[in-house]
Amino acid sequence: MRGIKIPGLLQRMALGLGAALLLGAQGAQAAGTLTIGMTAGDLPVTTGNPDQGFEGYRFVGYNLYDSLVLWDLSGAGEKAADIKPGLATEWHVDEADNKRWIFTLRQGVKWHDGCPFTADDVVWNMAYSSDEKAPQFNAAQFAQARAYLGTYAGIEKVDDHTVAFTTKVPDALFPYMMSYVLMISPCRAKEVNNDWTQYALKPSGTGPYKFDKTVPHQRLEFVPNTEYWDKARMPKQDRLVLIPMPEASTRTAALLTGQVDWIEAPSPDAIDRLKSSGMQIVTRVYPHNWSYQLNFVKGPFTDKRVRQAANYALNREDIKDLLNGLMLEQYATLTPSAPYYGKPVLYKYDPAKAKALLKEAGCLPCKVTFAISTSGSGQMQPLPMNELVKSQLDAAGFEVTLQSMDWNALLQVGRGGVDASPEISAINISRAAQDPFNALIRHVWTGAWAPKGANWGHHGNPAMDKLIESILAEFDTTKRLALLTQLHEMMSEEAVLIFVAHDLNPRAMSPKVKGFVQAQSWFQDLTPVTLSP
Amino acid sequence: MADIAELHSPLEAFEEQAAPATRVRGYWQSVAYRLRHDPATLIFGAAVLLIVLAALCAPWIAPFDPYKESIVGRLKPFGWRDHLLGTDELGRDMLSRILYGGRVSLLMGVVPVLIASLTGGLLGIIGGFVGGRVNTAIMRTMDVFYAFPSVLLAVAIAGAMGGGIGNGMLALTLVFIPPMCRVAETATTQVRALDYIEAARATGASTIKIIRYHVLGNVLGPVFIYASSLVSVSILLASGLSFLGLGVRPPVPDWGLMLSTLRQSIYVVPFVCALPGVAIFITSICFNLVSDGLRAAMDVRM
Amino acid sequence: MSFYILRRILYAIPIAFGVSVVCFSLVYIAPGDPLQTVMPPDATAETIEIVKKAYGFDKPLPMQFLIWLGRVLTGDFGMSISTRRPVFLEVSEALANTSLLALFAVPISFFTGYVMGAIAGCFPGRWIDRLVTGAAVFGVSLPNYWLGIVLVIFFAVEYMLLPATGMGPNGSTGFHILEWSSARFLVLPVITLSMIPVGILSRTTRAAVAEVHNQDFVQTLRAKGLSEWAVTRHVLKNSLPQVLAVMGLQFGYLLGGSILVETVFTWPGSGFLLSKAIINRDVPVLQGTILTLSLVFVAINLVVDLLQSLIDPRIRRA
Repeated sequence: MRGIKIPGLLQRMALGLGAALLLGAQGAQAAGTLTIGMTAGDLPVTTGNPDQGFEGYRFVGYNLYDSLVLWDLSGAGEKAADIKPGLATEWHVDEADNKRWIFTLRQGVKWHDGCPFTADDVVWNMAYSSDEKAPQFNAAQFAQARAYLGTYAGIEKVDDHTVAFTTKVPDALFPYMMSYVLMISPCRAKEVNNDWTQYALKPSGTGPYKFDKTVPHQRLEFVPNTEYWDKARMPKQDRLVLIPMPEASTRTAALLTGQVDWIEAPSPDAIDRLKSSGMQIVTRVYPHNWSYQLNFVKGPFTDKRVRQAANYALNREDIKDLLNGLMLEQYATLTPSAPYYGKPVLYKYDPAKAKALLKEAGCLPCKVTFAISTSGSGQMQPLPMNELVKSQLDAAGFEVTLQSMDWNALLQVGRGGVDASPEISAINISRAAQDPFNALIRHVWTGAWAPKGANWGHHGNPAMDKLIESILAEFDTTKRLALLTQLHEMMSEEAVLIFVAHDLNPRAMSPKVKGFVQAQSWFQDLTPVTLSP
Repeated sequence: MADIAELHSPLEAFEEQAAPATRVRGYWQSVAYRLRHDPATLIFGAAVLLIVLAALCAPWIAPFDPYKESIVGRLKPFGWRDHLLGTDELGRDMLSRILYGGRVSLLMGVVPVLIASLTGGLLGIIGGFVGGRVNTAIMRTMDVFYAFPSVLLAVAIAGAMGGGIGNGMLALTLVFIPPMCRVAETATTQVRALDYIEAARATGASTIKIIRYHVLGNVLGPVFIYASSLVSVSILLASGLSFLGLGVRPPVPDWGLMLSTLRQSIYVVPFVCALPGVAIFITSICFNLVSDGLRAAMDVRM
Repeated sequence: MSFYILRRILYAIPIAFGVSVVCFSLVYIAPGDPLQTVMPPDATAETIEIVKKAYGFDKPLPMQFLIWLGRVLTGDFGMSISTRRPVFLEVSEALANTSLLALFAVPISFFTGYVMGAIAGCFPGRWIDRLVTGAAVFGVSLPNYWLGIVLVIFFAVEYMLLPATGMGPNGSTGFHILEWSSARFLVLPVITLSMIPVGILSRTTRAAVAEVHNQDFVQTLRAKGLSEWAVTRHVLKNSLPQVLAVMGLQFGYLLGGSILVETVFTWPGSGFLLSKAIINRDVPVLQGTILTLSLVFVAINLVVDLLQSLIDPRIRRA
């Protein structure tokens, strides 16, 4: 192992004793330290685009790093968050060539390590996650970023403060994709000689937080970046500590005993107990889907009737009761408040119809296997919810087998696509619906077939593909809205997903936590949070 | 050694002392006698019988369907609407699930011990009887598996194979074969050395006959005692495997799995959530005490 | 005597070899393609080739074992699929944390178990004996992870006296044993872990003390006029070796069998690492952890045997 010190037990005990003697008691946590219990099973990686889903972005990605385009998380969440300038101050499509996007970069930005942020850095970063021949190429980042680089063709430096992206097809939604691609410091990468294991222990970005220390699998600690370019978003805490806690009861216990100040996704059963102990519970609707993506290559769900049967078989009211009301029933891909909701066909609870459809399709009992996770970002309470879904589907004539795994493992299965897991009929990965591409297109477009994108089941419909291409080429927002509405309605008509629930983003925090504004987004701004002593 | 005084004749007493592993006429009667006068073992033996019967008769005595969910009746405490022991996180009746869960838990407790006794016992008898290189080979192989702490070995095998009730039982069987083999081998070696075996051979008795009449009788006792003490260990290990997700899959009721899923709900009905553990504990302790009593009755060397 | 020691050490070598064979085969009893089990699903073709060469999957099985053994002996246990860190690093850090638990559990359970067993052994048949024996049976029949859950409910959730999970506000690197703020995290896991060893040790002690009591030299000591207490001291001293041997084995069990307790308390030790590896189907970590833990167990058995032979000369002649 190149230069990695392996501290043994004796060394550690000696260090502990020595430190205890020399430095004196290190008592309770310092005031102004925000400790968060995440649903992730492990710490998200710090090497750029994080893993562990959007929770990784929420707590690590957007804190250590920025992207060219950021999400506007201010504004008390009255409407869904939209994008705003980040490391790029402006962008527009080239009038001469609508496959070319010009991004003007922000000036005066510095990396955590002190090097200046330049256009070369952006070019370097794109090669980092997409160019196999580049010395800095990181295969793991390639896998993470692939879903957002579906239409990305190339990048070139125009001048020190401008870059131009080229896309494979005209893509009006390209800036949205750029919001998910985080920029890491080439300076620091060169310092560690592109050794990503080393880099992970001393990452450097442009974000509002700087990396301080980590204990692998246990905690990640950040401190404010006092030189952050956005003065309005300087972190108000002294320290941010992230702890992975995949079990809901562990999170609840940790919050009640004061080990953490903030937990994600408390178990709905524990909400009463948390409230009576004085904890604050915040919820907000946000662009989130808890549904199943289906296998369109092999298995019963290739038949539209079976897909519709599954949707008719679900009693979403009951699932909502299971969660003590902490969800919104999902009858279509988006929530009714979405601008392009339209008038989709709704599959209201009708088990008799479900059974009839299954009989017609000749699939009775219909054997299916669902891949699910044990916890995770946006997965809500996956085990009890899946058990309930299973029993409802079983009652309507299905025979469901649940295959559960760790969240990160499920994401990997999701990225692998239906070719890597042909025996799985449906995969339960909660999806963000923040932008039109991620809300609709990536589920059904052939251009997003996994592993290139998030179309796990390889759904392909020539009419939908044509519609999507016209959406991507439509740079006029009003016209695009009409097309998106059409797409949304088509997706419901074809029952491309099993629609189950929209999450309400619950989180619980101790009464000491102040200043938090819950945005209508998967991401949250932690910078204004303070802790009263 | 007060037990010796309870034997039927001084001759038997002398023979017992001289050849501790030998069986004499009246041995089983003396075992039965000792058991009859051991109220504790009898009581716990009855308890074991009760538990096994309850599990076997679960389909007839369970008040509710263990798979029937009720969203409105989730996590209810003892006595809520005919649910004597409350309901679980999906509204299923706890009493029924505990009864049905007993079937899986007892199955995973008894079957591995049974198979391990047969296989390990056979291997041990062969090794002990044949001796020499064969014995060394068998015992050294067993020593390798002995080198793993039992929990670790069970988890390793079940974990690598991907869990499930079959793999779990296989893992537990493999964990118990080495100790059973060792017990059988020790007993066989002791018997083999006895004079009357030589005498039997001298009169031309075939090996099989010798094994059947002399060896088996002496080996079965220790093997049975040891196996009975392993059942409680097996139940605990099996529940541990299920707790880690390496046993049956939901929604099949199983005590270890129930403990794991109910852990999330300890804030709502802590006593209901602790129930499967109580079931495991009661079953395990009853088997343990019965096994202790059997040992006291059967192993005169104590 | 040194011949015995040498023989015992040499004997441990084939055992260790057998253990490594079993660990090696874990990859092959896992369902699916062995190559897939050691690689992340999104591995590039280049990574696949590198891994193939490192493991030698195209070679015959005995060759593969030797290649694997060679790498293991140099400390290369492969890479974790989920974290892409070297397995050796993961395992050694985790083992250090488990050792912390075991190091506290050992003296506590030894002291408690020995005292209980000694009292019971000195007064056989009386109510104290029955009490202790009952408690011992209790201890070994209780699922210890369930006790952990119950303790968490009472001490952490209901009465908020002790923390529920984890290793402390600063994780394992900031763990200062001498301070209550860190040490309080040890209390519940150690109590839970100690339960089974206390049960086993008290039974062993009771049996050993009772056996020693029945030996001739005790009568001799009494005849010499020694006070009952002095006789008891002699008895206890003589029963110590047996108990120490069992204690040594229990230490090995604590290290290897802590998985359930660590899962309940989210204690970042080797058991917890193992349970996460199982959930993630991270076979390299599974292999590495099991190999390390079992080899440690073999080493502990060896040390215990050698120490016993040093204390009790009868064993050497066996």
